[in-house]
Order: sequence, then structure tokens, then C-alpha cells
Amino acid sequence: MTAPPTYDAVVVGGGVHGCTLALFLARGGMRVALIERGPLCREASGVNAGTLTMQMTRVALIPYALRAHRMWATAREWLGHDVGVVVCDGLSLAFTEREAEILSFRAGKRREAGAPIDLVSPARAKAIEPGLSDHPILAGFCPVDGYASAYLTGLAFRRALVEAGATLFENAEATGVEPCAGGYAVRVADGRAIAGARLALCGGVWLEPMCAWLGVRLPVKVLVNQLAVTERTPPVMRSVVGVASGLLSLKQFANGTTVIGGGWQAVGDRDRGGFALRPEALIGNLRLACHAIPALRGARLARAWAGLEAETADAMPAVGELPGLPEAYVCGGVHSGYTSGPYIARLLAERMLGGEPDLPLFPVERLLAPAPEAAGASPRVPAGADAPEGDPAR
Amino acid sequence: MTAAAPPLRAEAAVIGAGPAGATAAAVLARAGVSTVLIDEAAAPGGRVWRAPPDVLRARAGGPELAEGDALRARVAGAGAQLLAGAVVWSVTELGGRFRIDVMTDGGMTDHGPRVIEARLLLVATGALERVSPFPGWTTPGVIGLAAATILLKSQRMAPGRRLVVAGAGPLLAAVAAGALKAGAEVVAVADLNGAADWARAAPALAGRPALAARGAGWVAAMLRAGVRPGFRTGVRAAHGDMRLEAVELGPVDAEGAPVAGAPTRRVACDALAVGHGLAPATEITRLLRAAHVFDRARGGWLPETDDACRTSAPRLYAAGDGAGVLGAAAALAAGERAAAAMLADLGRGPAPRPAPGASRAARFGAAMGRLSRQRPAATAAIAPGTVVCRCEDVTRAEIDAAFDAGATDLNQLKHFTRCGMGPCQGRVCGDAAAELLALRLAGRGGVDAARRAVGQWTGRAPLRPVPLDALIGAFDYADIPVPDPAPL
Amino acid sequence: MRRIAAPAARNLSKVARVMFTADGDEVAARAGASVAAALIAAGRPALGRSPRDGRPRGAFCLMGVCQQCVMRIDGVRRPACMVEARAGMVVESLA
Repeated sequence: MTAPPTYDAVVVGGGVHGCTLALFLARGGMRVALIERGPLCREASGVNAGTLTMQMTRVALIPYALRAHRMWATAREWLGHDVGVVVCDGLSLAFTEREAEILSFRAGKRREAGAPIDLVSPARAKAIEPGLSDHPILAGFCPVDGYASAYLTGLAFRRALVEAGATLFENAEATGVEPCAGGYAVRVADGRAIAGARLALCGGVWLEPMCAWLGVRLPVKVLVNQLAVTERTPPVMRSVVGVASGLLSLKQFANGTTVIGGGWQAVGDRDRGGFALRPEALIGNLRLACHAIPALRGARLARAWAGLEAETADAMPAVGELPGLPEAYVCGGVHSGYTSGPYIARLLAERMLGGEPDLPLFPVERLLAPAPEAAGASPRVPAGADAPEGDPAR
Repeated sequence: MTAAAPPLRAEAAVIGAGPAGATAAAVLARAGVSTVLIDEAAAPGGRVWRAPPDVLRARAGGPELAEGDALRARVAGAGAQLLAGAVVWSVTELGGRFRIDVMTDGGMTDHGPRVIEARLLLVATGALERVSPFPGWTTPGVIGLAAATILLKSQRMAPGRRLVVAGAGPLLAAVAAGALKAGAEVVAVADLNGAADWARAAPALAGRPALAARGAGWVAAMLRAGVRPGFRTGVRAAHGDMRLEAVELGPVDAEGAPVAGAPTRRVACDALAVGHGLAPATEITRLLRAAHVFDRARGGWLPETDDACRTSAPRLYAAGDGAGVLGAAAALAAGERAAAAMLADLGRGPAPRPAPGASRAARFGAAMGRLSRQRPAATAAIAPGTVVCRCEDVTRAEIDAAFDAGATDLNQLKHFTRCGMGPCQGRVCGDAAAELLALRLAGRGGVDAARRAVGQWTGRAPLRPVPLDALIGAFDYADIPVPDPAPL
Repeated sequence: MRRIAAPAARNLSKVARVMFTADGDEVAARAGASVAAALIAAGRPALGRSPRDGRPRGAFCLMGVCQQCVMRIDGVRRPACMVEARAGMVVESLA
């Protein structure tokens, strides 16, 4: 191929990371192509719980999540379209002494990282959230919390991307990438090749097979997070409620539906998606929810589903250039990626546009496993190596 | 934690105790296969052969009661375990077994969860009624044709005092005749089909003389009461606020589209029974990710099956109207075929013989299906302000706007508009919403090709909304199996 | 408390009746009837309102599919078409 690539950047993967990256690259003056196997934001970015909380965010990501929270809260301004974002109080509950210990430790670490979390008494918690049961013995309170209607993400980003002049290839499955003169050519299932001077792989749980196209082995674990929603009911709560372990996220939307999540595991994989629930896990998740907000018992369960979340070996993001592959980037593996995604993807856009990001990226070298011929070897950094010491939950 | 009822374990489970499911369960049980037969209703029979409540039984009658009683006796004699009054809310397949979660309903007091496990599963969930939206179809007093048959047959009451019957297919005459018998005044019958359409179905009708005679009896009853069917007539609008006051009827063309500029007729009434055909209930086969095909003549989307009712998913079978709408008689035969295949697959019977060519019952069912097929031209004529999704009040204009904003498949439409996101989970609006998208998307391949591209709703549990209180019961916090904490 | 006379009263004579209350009004139902059928027979087809536009809704499919007739029946949200009317039952429209 001798003609220069058509695009300045080709982004593969149209979730919240890929969409944000493509949007800011396009607004930065680049000719951008965004390739997505299905419609935009219909995997994890469209089916997650929409929680925008600090109390489930990894400590090292708090500075990013706080900035991302501001972006979500002002989505109408920078995105130009509504994602149904509500900013409200957040509570993380402890029901037992052991959970109180975990909560105290974790809230402390997150506070050190910048999240304005206070430990409050059950009475104070109930004043903040009148829907609360009498079961909590301690609560973490954070005024920087809230939620989006995740199912609106695709509509909002699609409109913004079209307005920004990005070229969208939806329902176009990328099947491979080859370096070409002046960049990279992405092959899609219908045989077309879409070439760009820069390449960004934003494939969520599919990041691992995408990197393999370039001979890079970046192991990505697939979490199959279960979610449930009630039908519309009169108000039962007004804040975002979680628990010390992070295994509950609960909020009621303006339309009266309540979304119940927390990362309980359903059944699924990369090929088939989240294809089956585990009824015991669903019932367990619902019991935990009703233990926190008893009025939920009067609601009916309307729908349950599962979405795939990517987790790297150390459960920290992979955001940066691929070693030895100039102008080929990855962006993914962000824990609670919906919360922090827009800010982290914007950082990468700044870097790809030649700027200096406000906060550091997450170089991927640490996560790379040896080439496939040495398959089976572990990544160089053991899981949880950067986790704060002393967490009673560990 | 409260002691939950232990799982019921069986070799085979059958969901749906209509003609197909009850027959299959009886054959399986007779052959010595442990079989659980699950149904929402209190007794087998399905919708067509539904058992009336005991207190109304003395007033019931007719061939469908006799056929239903025969089916009920067959199930009872065969030794299948019947789980009646059980609403299936989840079906999963793991490790070679199906797990079926139901809520049993003992009349409000002892409702609670129950689990059935089985190696083989037959889905015989029948059909749902399709009603093509029109202005005012959400007005109280407007009900489905199938709903009207339920009121007439199992509740022994007419849907109203002054009734309009409208739509397509054989249920029109059945409902009109039944309502007359129940003492209602039938003020209009509006049939999308014309005399020529019915004439085309005549050969298939002739192959089922008993059913044809019943149909003729319904028509005769209508004529005796002075009710003349209005052919090629459709509902333009229903009027009224808290209750139905009038229906506006107008002529339609051969494709079911309203004839523009033609005069309409306003008929005062307090009930409208309206239906535009049946669609296979595919919730469970979709949930289990079996392959489906779109076949407009057999009701739309249906699970792909071989001629022995095997779906594309291992050990999962589908029979009866849920596998393609062909009617009760064809469903009986399909139940026999499914059971034969299940026995063979268990190593307990010979390989099923290839299905004979289309039976008379199937030809009859197919002819009725053609009369009541979904008509793209009728859907295309839906006015922009008409509510399509009754749960979420999503209008046709909003669906068109979502298409313009980039929603080209049914699930993206759901995200963009909440169409199908309400408690009915898109069962009522799905066909109309998909057809509206397909009409916009349709290229050279036509509307059916576009329907395939638009797809179906992804199957989701719960299959019916479940009260949380009943689902989670009483429990101790310490017994909740909370997973390990997320990393910090 | 108002007493609603069922228009199909002549049909009620032959079978037992049960009385329940719907939004505070006493309603007569034929034994064996569903709550939805009883309310239709009593001339009360509007059972609830649509959530977005607040428009009246009544029973539509009568087979537990469409969820348009969901009411609070003895404190539990259930489709009125799937619940048999019982004496003393308390039935309320959803707000």
C-alpha cells in the first residue's frame, strides 16, 4: 500500500473509552474512524449500572474518577447530549463489625487519595438516606456520587461523534490489524481495510484478542457482572447505596426503576457475552439490596442481565502506547471503567494529539506476557501488587 | 435462611401444558421417563382448551371443553408430575442440565420459589396475540381477541354490552358468536380480510370439515343476530378517556392499509376486541440462545427446529404454536413428534420417523396464519402520534426518530427510547416496533430481510415480573453468599 | 362506600358471589372470576395509568402478558387478570 492512510486515527471498539477517545481526537482536528462490531455502547458501556461513585473506585484511580465525575456531571456541556446524569449523595454500608473494619480502612485510603468520604453513624446515614434499614452499624458518606442512565450512552455519543465529523463504522467487526505504510490497516469482516496513521484498541474484554492481532499478549480476565432492575415504583431511596465490600450498588432513577448491581458473577465469556444468570446469585444480590433498602421488597423484578467487564492482571488500567509499535495504543482494563472512562480516554486523546496529559497514563509494559510461543507464563507483575497494605479484606 | 422447597429433579421437563406440551409429557411419562409438566394455569389445556374454574364448570360446554378434558385425562393417567399454577421466571442451562425457576402461586398465600432440574427440556409455550397499534388502542375497554375468548370461555362473560370485534383471522367470528351467546350486542365486525381472501383459504378449510363447520356455525349465529361482517375493514381509532365510547372503522386495501380519503364510520360501543394474529412465544428459546428464523406466515420469529422439534441448542426442543403458529390440532401432532425425538435422544425409543408432509391440520393452521399475518402496509400506516409501546408510552414518531438517530436493530431501539423496556418486556409491542424499524431499513431484500436484520429482543429473565418479596423470602444476613470484596 | 351494581347481574344469579373492595368501593364478583374480569363486569375497565403520560389503562391481554392490569392486591403488585377474586380482598390501583 503506497497511498497514505485515509484517517489520522482509527479507533477499534465503540464503548465509552473508544467513543470518548474518537470524540476528542476528532475535535482535536484529526480525521477519525471508529469501528465497532455492533452498535455503539451496547456492551459493557450500555448495560452497566451507571454508578458514578468513588466508594467502589480503586484507590489509585480516585484522582481520575473525581475528574471523570465532573465530566459526567457536565456531560450536556462537553458531550452535548443527555446521559441522564444525576449527582447525589453516596453511602457505603457496613452491617457487621468486620465490614465496619473494612469500611473504615477503605474509606481512609480513598480519602487519602482525594475522595471526600466521611464515616458516619447509622442515624446520620438514615438522615441522608431515609429509605435505609436499621441494619447498618456504620456508613461511608461521600457527597460526590451519582449515576447515569447507561442505556443512553450510545445515543449521546453517537450524536456527538457525528457532529464532530468522526466516521462511524457500526456493525463492522474488525478481524485483524496489519502495519502498513504510514500506519495501521484494520481489516473488517466484509473485507474492507480501514487505515489510519494511528491506531487505538479500545476493546474492553476483547482487548486481549485485539492485541494478539499485533503479536502482543495482554491477558485480560472477563468479569461477568450481573445486574437487575425493578419496574417503576414510588420513591424508595434518593442516594446511591453500596456496601463496604463493593458487592452492592443500588440507586433509584427518576422514572422510578431501581437498578441493583454490585458485580455478582453470572455466566458468560468473550464469545457469547453474559448469556446466563445464576439464580442463586441473583437472589443473593436482591437480598443484600433489600437488607439495605427494605421498601424494595414491594417492587417487582422487571429484568436481569449481565455485562462483561475487563480486568487486567493487576486490575489497573492499560492505557498507553504498545511497546515497539509506534502510534499503536490501547485503552481499557479500567476498573469501574464507566465511571472513570471519559477522563482516562480523554487523557489518551491529549497524548495522541501531541499534548502532555494532566495525569499519568497507565503504561502497558507491566501487563505484557511473553509472546505466544512461551504461552502459559504469568505476566511480570503479580496481581494486586500495588494494592494498599493492611486492607482487612485481603 | 428459610428452607426452600427442594429442587424437583426429572429426566424431562415440559414448559406449557397446552396441546403440544401436555401430549408430549403424557407420551414421555407413559414410556417411563420421569417428566415434570409446568404451566401457569391451574390445569392443563393451554389457551384453546383451557379448563374453566370449577365453579363455572357446570355452565361450560362445547367441543373444546371435551377435547381439553380428554387431554387432562391423558396427562393424569400417564403419571407425569404436574406443576400447575407455576410461573416460570428463569431458565438456565449449565453442566448438561436445565434449571427452571418458577414462582408457584397458591392463591396469594403460599406463593414462593421452586426449582426444577431436568436433562431435556421441551418448550411448548404457545403463542402471544399480536395487536397492530392504532390511536386509542390503550383506552380501557379495548382488549385483545384472545383476551375476549378468555373472558367468554373461562370467565363466562362478555367483554361488554356493546361490542365491536375487529382484526383478522378465525377468532373474529368465534368471539362475535361467543359474545352474542353471552348476551352482548355485537355492533360491528370488522375483518381486514375480504371475501376473496377467505375464498383462497377454502381448500385448507375443506380439509378440516369439523373446524370449518364450527366456523360456519359462528358465521350463521352472527347472521341470525343481524350482524354482517364488514370485509376489508379496519379500526382507524378508538375514542374515550377513562373508558371506551366509540370505535372508528374504515375500509382497507388488499394489503391491510387504510384507504386514504375513504369515509369512516363511528360506532358507539363499550368494548372492542381486536387482534391481528398470533406470534410464537419465544421468550425461553431466546433466553437459551437457540437459533431463530423469521417466517411471517407462521407468526414471525420462531425457534429453528428440525422435523423432530429439536432446536439448535442441545437437549432443547420446541413444539406447538411456540415453534410456529399452526393451531391446536397441529400442536397435538407436534407434541407426539417432540416426545418421540426426546425418547430417541434418551436412548429409550427408535429414531423418530421423518415427519410426513404437511398434515391437514398443519395446512389448515397455515391458511389461518396467512389470513392473520402481520401486514407491513398496515404497520406503515400507523400515525406518528400513536403509542406503540404501551408500557412506556413510546410513539411511532419516537421510533422513527430513533431510527434517524442511528438505531437500526430492535435492541438499540430499546436503549434509545425505552420501547420494550417496561414490565411486558416488549411482548406486546415487539412485532410492531420491529416492523416499523424494518420498514425504514428495508432495501432491495424487502421488509422480511429487514426484519431479520432488525432482529428480536435479547431474551432476559425474569420471563414475567416477579415480586421481590416472594422471590427473596425471609433470610438471615449471614446466609447471603456475598462474594469476596472487590480489590481496593 | 359505594356499591357498584354489576351490569351482568343476571349472570350472577346462578353462581355464588364474592365481595371485595376496589379503591374503597365494594365490588361483587362471581366466584371463580379473576379480579380483572370482575372489575370489567362491574363497569370499571380503567385499572391504572401509564407511567409516562399518566393515561388510563385497562386489562388488555387477560393472560398475564401485557402487565397493563397490574394492581396492588392484598398489598402485592400482581396482574389483576391472573388473580382469582376472593371475598374480602383489598384491590388498589397503583398511584
